[in-house]
Amino acid sequence: MSATAAAVHSLWTTRALADTAATPAIPTPHIEYAQLSPVLIVFGAAVLGVLIEAFAPRAARYAGQLAVSVVGLAAAFAALVALAADGYAQGRSHVAAMGAVAVDGPALFLQGTIVLIALVATFTFAERRLDPVAHGNRVDSFAAQGSAVPGGEQEQKAVRAGFTTTEVFPLLLFAVAGMMIFPAADDLLTLFVSLEVFSLPLYLLCALARRRRLMSQEASVKYFLLGAFSSAILLFGIALLYGYAGTVSYGGIADVVDGTAKLTPALANTTGNDALLLIGGAMVVMGLLFKVAAVPFHMWTPDVYQGAPTPVTGFMAAAVKVAAFGALLRLLYVVLPGMRWDWRPVMWGVAIVTMVVGAIIAVTQTDVKRLLAYSSIAHAGFLLTGVIAVSPSGVSSVLFYLVAYSFVTLGGFAVVTLVRDAGGEATHLSKWAGLGRRSPLLAAVFAVFLLSFAGIPLTAGFSGKFAVFKAAAQGGAVPLVVVGVISSAIAAFFYIRVIVMMFFQEPQPQGPTVAIPSPLTSTAIALGVAVTLVLGVAPQYFLDLAGKAGVFVR
Amino acid sequence: MTTSTGEAIQFWVLGIVAVLGALGTVGMRKAVHSALCLAGTMIVLAVFYLAQGAYFLGIVQIVVYTGAVMMLFLFVVMLVGITAADSLKETIRGQRAAAVLCGIGFGILLIAGIANASLHRFTGLAQANAGGNVEGLARLVFTTYVWAFEITGALLITAAVGAMVLTHRERTERPATQREQSEARVREGRNVTPLPAPGVFARHNAVDVPGLLPDGTPSELTVNQTLRARGQVRDVGGEQERRVRKLEQRSDEYVEGVTEGEGAPEGGRDRSGDNDGANHAEGAAK
Amino acid sequence: MSFPLLTVTAVVPAAGAVVTAAVPAARRTAAKWTALAFALATLVLAAVVTARFSPGGARYQLTESHAWITAFGVRYELGVDGIAVVLVLLTAVLVPFVMLAGWHDADPLETSDRRWRPTQGFFALILLVEAMVVIAFESTDVFLFYVFFEAMLIPMYFLIGGFGDQAGAHGEDEQARQRSYAAVKFLLYNLVGGLVMLAAVIGLYAVTAHQLGAGTFSLPQILHDRANGTLTLSTTAERWIFLGFFFAFAVKAPLWPLHTWLPNAMGESTAPVAVLITAVVDKVGTFAMLRYCLQLFPAASKWATPVILVLAVIGIIYGALLAVGQRDIKRLIAYASISHFGFIILGIFAMTSQGQSGATLYMVNHGVSTAALLLVAGFLISRRGSRRIADFGGVQKVAPLLAGTFLVGGLATLSLPGLGPFVSEFLVLVGTFTRYPALGVIATLGIVLAALYVLVLYQRTMTGPVKAGIEGMKDLKVRELVVVAPLIALLLFLGVYPKPVTDVINPAVKDTLSDVHRTDPPPKVTVPAVAAAKENAK
Repeated sequence: MSATAAAVHSLWTTRALADTAATPAIPTPHIEYAQLSPVLIVFGAAVLGVLIEAFAPRAARYAGQLAVSVVGLAAAFAALVALAADGYAQGRSHVAAMGAVAVDGPALFLQGTIVLIALVATFTFAERRLDPVAHGNRVDSFAAQGSAVPGGEQEQKAVRAGFTTTEVFPLLLFAVAGMMIFPAADDLLTLFVSLEVFSLPLYLLCALARRRRLMSQEASVKYFLLGAFSSAILLFGIALLYGYAGTVSYGGIADVVDGTAKLTPALANTTGNDALLLIGGAMVVMGLLFKVAAVPFHMWTPDVYQGAPTPVTGFMAAAVKVAAFGALLRLLYVVLPGMRWDWRPVMWGVAIVTMVVGAIIAVTQTDVKRLLAYSSIAHAGFLLTGVIAVSPSGVSSVLFYLVAYSFVTLGGFAVVTLVRDAGGEATHLSKWAGLGRRSPLLAAVFAVFLLSFAGIPLTAGFSGKFAVFKAAAQGGAVPLVVVGVISSAIAAFFYIRVIVMMFFQEPQPQGPTVAIPSPLTSTAIALGVAVTLVLGVAPQYFLDLAGKAGVFVR
Repeated sequence: MTTSTGEAIQFWVLGIVAVLGALGTVGMRKAVHSALCLAGTMIVLAVFYLAQGAYFLGIVQIVVYTGAVMMLFLFVVMLVGITAADSLKETIRGQRAAAVLCGIGFGILLIAGIANASLHRFTGLAQANAGGNVEGLARLVFTTYVWAFEITGALLITAAVGAMVLTHRERTERPATQREQSEARVREGRNVTPLPAPGVFARHNAVDVPGLLPDGTPSELTVNQTLRARGQVRDVGGEQERRVRKLEQRSDEYVEGVTEGEGAPEGGRDRSGDNDGANHAEGAAK
Repeated sequence: MSFPLLTVTAVVPAAGAVVTAAVPAARRTAAKWTALAFALATLVLAAVVTARFSPGGARYQLTESHAWITAFGVRYELGVDGIAVVLVLLTAVLVPFVMLAGWHDADPLETSDRRWRPTQGFFALILLVEAMVVIAFESTDVFLFYVFFEAMLIPMYFLIGGFGDQAGAHGEDEQARQRSYAAVKFLLYNLVGGLVMLAAVIGLYAVTAHQLGAGTFSLPQILHDRANGTLTLSTTAERWIFLGFFFAFAVKAPLWPLHTWLPNAMGESTAPVAVLITAVVDKVGTFAMLRYCLQLFPAASKWATPVILVLAVIGIIYGALLAVGQRDIKRLIAYASISHFGFIILGIFAMTSQGQSGATLYMVNHGVSTAALLLVAGFLISRRGSRRIADFGGVQKVAPLLAGTFLVGGLATLSLPGLGPFVSEFLVLVGTFTRYPALGVIATLGIVLAALYVLVLYQRTMTGPVKAGIEGMKDLKVRELVVVAPLIALLLFLGVYPKPVTDVINPAVKDTLSDVHRTDPPPKVTVPAVAAAKENAK
């Protein structure tokens, strides 16, 4: 009894009495700054952006932020390329920052993708030619002042004063940094923190639309609440997995799952408790499925995609999917491969439901942004079929699909920002009728994106779909491929419907106009078209790249 | 080690309190009550942490969460006030019932699942706390989890930026100086003097009680604009008016009774003087 | 490696599409001539391909092979056998006529909008379709074939939906609605078919990857590996993959009961586009049955033959019966085509050398005869502004040339001896009869019905008193004659002397049959008896 008391009081007493020299020194953590440099550069740029907000005069902020973002992201990409060239993607890949971050092929590939997405997204964020000039100021897609009551006097004053929310750039960069860590995280704690790091800026960005601000704020609140909920579930799962394995590191848990770990006496009792492993694993996967918008965790997607400012929607739809699928792949392939007989049936179900529900509900949509939201849900299902393969080709096909999907998505949402009427973007589908007559080029570009989403050959969507289905079929999931093909057909129906509207219906007299974008948005769209065609016609280089990047470090 | 009886009793008693507190946080209609419930839950959690040997976490939970964050929150709620009520109307019929059902189902599933895990003993605490609880935590935070710890900084910056973006209103024009304000008042010709004070003499001195005009009606000017906008003005004017009227009636009866009986001992008094503010105060004092 | 002739044959029309699309909006005539020039250049190239092809030589000639997507085991492999050569030539021959016939179809009604360039679009899309069809015929890689098989839907879809017939029975809006419905129906049917095939293509890849170590789509390689036993398909796998392929081709061909998109698509599109659908694009479906279904999956083909033959015969009778009942000229021709596709599929799956030679020849003849009939019908319809048979009557008195060419086209459709289709239909029936006498007899009924619908159509529209609206009808113009005359000449030539074509086809057919491990059955019924039965049926 006295012994326990001593132990309890050790906190206050024994420490004071003990000889300080007897305490072993805590070793300095070893952090490979060079290998973490891409993330650190983006963080640095973000902090610089915050400082610009704080100290630069209002007039100089836009240019400054744009420059910092673009330079920061470009530098991060250069650093990633340098790391890959140094062989970190293959031979030299290892786990950095005291086991927190993996520097390996999938991580570098996904980080590169995310950085490029962010670069394009920065362009769409910075677009200022679409809205009519308000009181002599060019305006972007973001609220003049986020704090002003929608429709209130303060808002009008802010618009008149030419305020713009240039904070979106540092917020974007913070989100990007979080997303870069997310698929590279090699312990569950880093996974959780990075999830929060990229989610929080997204919640904020969602609330900052210039038009339809109430809807935007509602979207933000919805996203925040559901996101917080899913984070909580993820965290609970992490706790249970820790309870099971006694460690949060991916490799450590995998060892325990495989039964190859050295059983310490401390873990002898808890380890082997499959209930903890199953429930914990399920909850962590649930948290990730929420982020990839898989059914039944998809409810937030249409509302948030619709409410958020369109450039943000494009960024979210592309980058979050990349980051979350990266994390999901690493979790399932590194931590839980030993459990694949348990999780594969579940993921089968999720993939089937996601593909079918996404495609079927999309058919009834009348709003372009909601349509694209459901289409992104269906695409999450297609991606899941690749994840289920549990093979190197599964990894590389998902990586490739993510590249193909994300740039097309960015381009698609960029096109949505261009079609406008007096109330801002004209997202209702009926307003898109006859767009092919008014502006054939834009309609043709959007048709290319839609055909790519539908997976018509010679577009990126087809190559991606073929890659994941091929991986799934080789992994023995032929029924899944059949379901995928059927839902592709359903999905094709609503993409085609939009094309029909654009080309074969008479334009409405009060229809929307097509804004002439600055080179910023044009670049985003052109890049989308280029990626669609290049990945559709000559995907070999990128398939090779994804193939080489397909090995996780453990 | 196994759980001692004392700890078990402590757990079951406080566990109920924690869950009730959490439910109260969601269910209470007033923000202050919700916040208090949350604070209660947090304190209970802190006790749990302490009981399980996580001293640092327990103390931090009380000092930082309950003490600082929650109290700050309460201050904000009390000072700024959250009056806008959420619309509790269901947009989809039966949604709430379905949600509750699903929640309960999920909870049961989870509880059943975790209860199935054979965790009769807990281990590893002694090793974890071997070098002292704080030292053990510090060792982890500054070595193994230093990266996670560092990127939490990004989260904090984002939170700060977000708070500014969503709440800070930058002025669109230069604020008027005191001189300009007074000049404007003189030019407009109203409220040249300082505004009258709130409160009713000898009865209230609260800022939310308007001062009364001579006729007993409350004066808008006496109450802070913010309180007025929020509709938090406590109106005592109506009561005062009633009392004045009663007083007048009594004095009328009295005067009538005197003239009928013994003449008018105070006959020289002018009735119109009743409208004086002092009389109101007198009436109120009675 | 020599000059990539096959690639160039496909690239020229594709380049033509780009050039045509880039012609400024106001220079419509220039765009048309540009497109025609590219189409003629393609024809020349196709002729060169035919000339360079030696019927007795290797199975696939003029081959080209390059790595394309190694990660998928996909190669850019081209090569033609006799069947492909003939069909490439057919395509190249028909496209200039299609263009000439549709010379004014896509002229915009008002030229106010300077960015709206329908004419350029129309001709560019036709060239694009031609390029895709040609490469689909030429490819010997399953994946490459699939890509263009699927991709050609998109330009076709725009051709159907964007450039409809102005002569529908209803108002402007109703017409636009109908047209868009037809286009969507066309696309969805074919897309679903194509996606089912995609699943099968992936299945094929999985099998080859599993057994050969690296997945491949190369047709020669798969055939080679199957022949020497390195690649064996399990019965179940072969059947499922076969069904996936066959479904797509049956939709495209189209085989009853997957045919319902064809009458809509042909009815609502302009006559030249209808020709493109039925004479060019649909041939890819029947061609692919012959090349991919039979060669890749011989056992499964044999397994499915009874059902397919029955469906084909049903298609023959059903199409003919519905053609008899049609009130719309183009829909009538569409149902007649369904009947003819029944014959083609019957010939392919009868698995006799006569049957398959006949089927291949039928593809050519059907292409030419339908083109002739449809294009003349198109001239007729554009003159009257109506597609309803009831609106016509006595045309032969007003426009004898028009009526005459229409009659020749019609007679070709009903397989009059002396015209091309007769030879092929005869071969198909003989080929079927040697193995499946009962089906052969039923199929012969289709010929009787063909005589009925063609002659009734002619009688109602061309003979009798001149109806109102017909009086001032002009006869064929020079441009139109240039379109029709060569086609009729071709029909006559093929009817009298089909040997050059059959010489090219026959070796390929033999190879195909040997893949299916089938030989012709010994004749049970003497050929004269069949001919007699045929004469009786007439």
